[in-house]
Amino acid sequence: MPRVACLHVPLFALAARLRSEPELGQEALAVFDGVRSGARGGAGQAARIVAANRVARRAGLRPGMTLTQARARVARLVARGRDPECERAAQQALLEVAMSFSPRVEDGEEGIVYLEVDGLERHFRGPEPELQMARALATSAARAGLPAGVGLAASKLAAKVAAGLPSSPTLVPAGEEARFLAHLPLARLAPELELGETLRRWGVRTVGDLARLPADDVVSRLGPAGQELHATARGLDPRPLSPRQPPPVFAEGLELEWPLVALEPFLFAARSALERLTRRLETCGLACARLELSLRLEPDGYAERALDLPAPTRDAKTLLTLVRLDLEGRPPGAPVVGFSFIAHPDRPRQAQLSLFGPPELSPDRLATTLARLFALLGPGRVGSPRPEDGHRPERFALVEYQPPPPPRVRPASAAGPVRGLLTARVLRPPIGLEVLTAARPDAAAPPCPTSVRSPRSAGIGGAVRVASGPWTMEEGWWTESPAAREYWDVELADGGLYRIFRDRTSGEWFADGIYD
Amino acid sequence: MAALALSSELADVSPVATARRADVERLRAGLPAALQGRVWRARELVRRPGEGPPGEERLPISLPAFDRLLAGGLPRGALVELVGTRSSGRFALVLAALAAATCGGEAAALVDLGGHLDPRAAQETGCDLERLLWVWPKYLREALAGTEMLLTGGFPLVVVDLGSPPVPGGRGEDASWLRLARTAEAHRASLLVAAPYRVAAIAAAMVLRTQVRRPTWRGKGREPRLLAGMDSRLVLERCRGARSAPSAPSAPSAPSDHSPGAGIELERRSA
Repeated sequence: MPRVACLHVPLFALAARLRSEPELGQEALAVFDGVRSGARGGAGQAARIVAANRVARRAGLRPGMTLTQARARVARLVARGRDPECERAAQQALLEVAMSFSPRVEDGEEGIVYLEVDGLERHFRGPEPELQMARALATSAARAGLPAGVGLAASKLAAKVAAGLPSSPTLVPAGEEARFLAHLPLARLAPELELGETLRRWGVRTVGDLARLPADDVVSRLGPAGQELHATARGLDPRPLSPRQPPPVFAEGLELEWPLVALEPFLFAARSALERLTRRLETCGLACARLELSLRLEPDGYAERALDLPAPTRDAKTLLTLVRLDLEGRPPGAPVVGFSFIAHPDRPRQAQLSLFGPPELSPDRLATTLARLFALLGPGRVGSPRPEDGHRPERFALVEYQPPPPPRVRPASAAGPVRGLLTARVLRPPIGLEVLTAARPDAAAPPCPTSVRSPRSAGIGGAVRVASGPWTMEEGWWTESPAAREYWDVELADGGLYRIFRDRTSGEWFADGIYD
Repeated sequence: MAALALSSELADVSPVATARRADVERLRAGLPAALQGRVWRARELVRRPGEGPPGEERLPISLPAFDRLLAGGLPRGALVELVGTRSSGRFALVLAALAAATCGGEAAALVDLGGHLDPRAAQETGCDLERLLWVWPKYLREALAGTEMLLTGGFPLVVVDLGSPPVPGGRGEDASWLRLARTAEAHRASLLVAAPYRVAAIAAAMVLRTQVRRPTWRGKGREPRLLAGMDSRLVLERCRGARSAPSAPSAPSAPSDHSPGAGIELERRSA
């Protein structure tokens, strides 16, 4: 059995808070969980004390008290709510302490960290190298601002119990876990409430009392939970250490022999780095969702840039195109003497093939295609179109293209002949026009366009054969860019059908659509 | 493949095969309409490598004139050129093709050189906008490059609309269009190029021309006028290597410039 050390920070919420605000150590400090009475939106659970420091405990504060009760006991109480950010940082610091000793570290959460220390005692001299190692662990944790107890045993549970004892560090000799646990109160094993009550009624007070009971009888009466507790009491921990895997770092780079000024030689070197990177991603079944490029410049300094991809891809050519476009748009401004790429990995999208329905686009190929289109055309020119609220025909929205999966069975086509719909090509932006108008017999009616002419490049012009309108459109009068237009449908002498409008604010004419 | 073809030929002359064919026909008749076209005999399955399943070589767009002229719809793996002047109904056909593909659950892409798409109008035509990818290039060069990316990306329908004249970037090089036609063929994709004038030259397997007939106006005399729709005419100018489909007896067997064509009625949904 490998030797396992446990770092245990008692009252972790309080310790994490004191690590961030050490000046509060001399005050009566309590950390509470829940909602303060009188706080806005305080409809949740009442604030209760989770942990208190020694000064506050001496004054009579106990975990579980409401904040009001605590304030009644200690008038000058400093109360702080639980801070997840503080606790996350403290846990990370504890993990780093453990990883500075051993690469095999398990995160036990809430101020508990396990690490495998087999063979590490050889780094410490003296009569009791294991004890020295445990002391070194405690010292490192204290240096990180966390007062941790240390326990060493052959199982995680025994190490944890040992770390929770006041006489830290505590060493449990190999094979003596059961004897070590035997004299401890049963509560140290933290049994379930109902199970603990049953054992109390049986007269089981210590861990040893439980370990001495026949295993079969315990299982038949208490079930699997009792079996696990009984095994634990005998020093048999069923849960081995499961070391935490550090996230893989996908980085590739190169130190150049001489500084590069032109883009092409740099891209030549970058291509091979990107190909290596994508091969590594492929090996792990991952794709690149974000690419970071760090350029080391001459004589000193760095240029950093990040490329967000519309969808995870592992196509080196696409990534290289994106890098090229980014560098062309924002040159680093100094010769480059080294570079590194870091890929943020993500799972590539998967497609479900269908037997009867239309085929689905391969997510990997779609991602690559979209990335290459973005690289070619830039943002705002590729996406899935959506109509926007309002009446201005030139307005639209583009959203990310994520087609839903195709139907499992191809829908039957519409039966019978279908008529086409007359639609208009929207002219973005609208083309300015010179329009001649004539009064109509009805004096109250607005004048009717009789002739239209546009700049030569637009090619719209001629006498108006038929005109239909006006239809007024007013939108956004409360905004900074209101629209007040009078729309006409006109047929010109050359047969062209146009949608034109007069801007009621400026009086100018525009064509914003061609019926086609 | 050879073994399969031989067995299918033998199957055609044996009485057992006749019974099997009848069985297949009976099976087809008993299936829902959506699945009838998905059951094939071995002989029907013998096809060239790279071809899609039988019955899926065309994409019908539900406009009778268009589908009739193209022997059932847009061919897969070919470049079809749609030429038309302003207000000739060219854009309506583009949207109809996109609507047909997206409603059938397929993804489609529109390379819109002029940025003319009105998403609301596309929705009214029946387009499923979630399946439609809109690409808005600035120049013809970008449009051609983007089209090739879309074809190699696996889009079963790519429509290139070059907008109104003048097309920014001119006609493009013949080699570029040939390359696109080859890419469409390799990926079994339908490529529809809608342009104000001929651009694809010999790369186009079919060339259709939309011609202006007349707009339809409601209201006479002093009554206010209302644009109600438009009549257009569709003419098949060129059809290279078209195989007549048994289900479309009016397949273009002898295409010529004097093809009688077909009328298309386009109506306006709302004023």
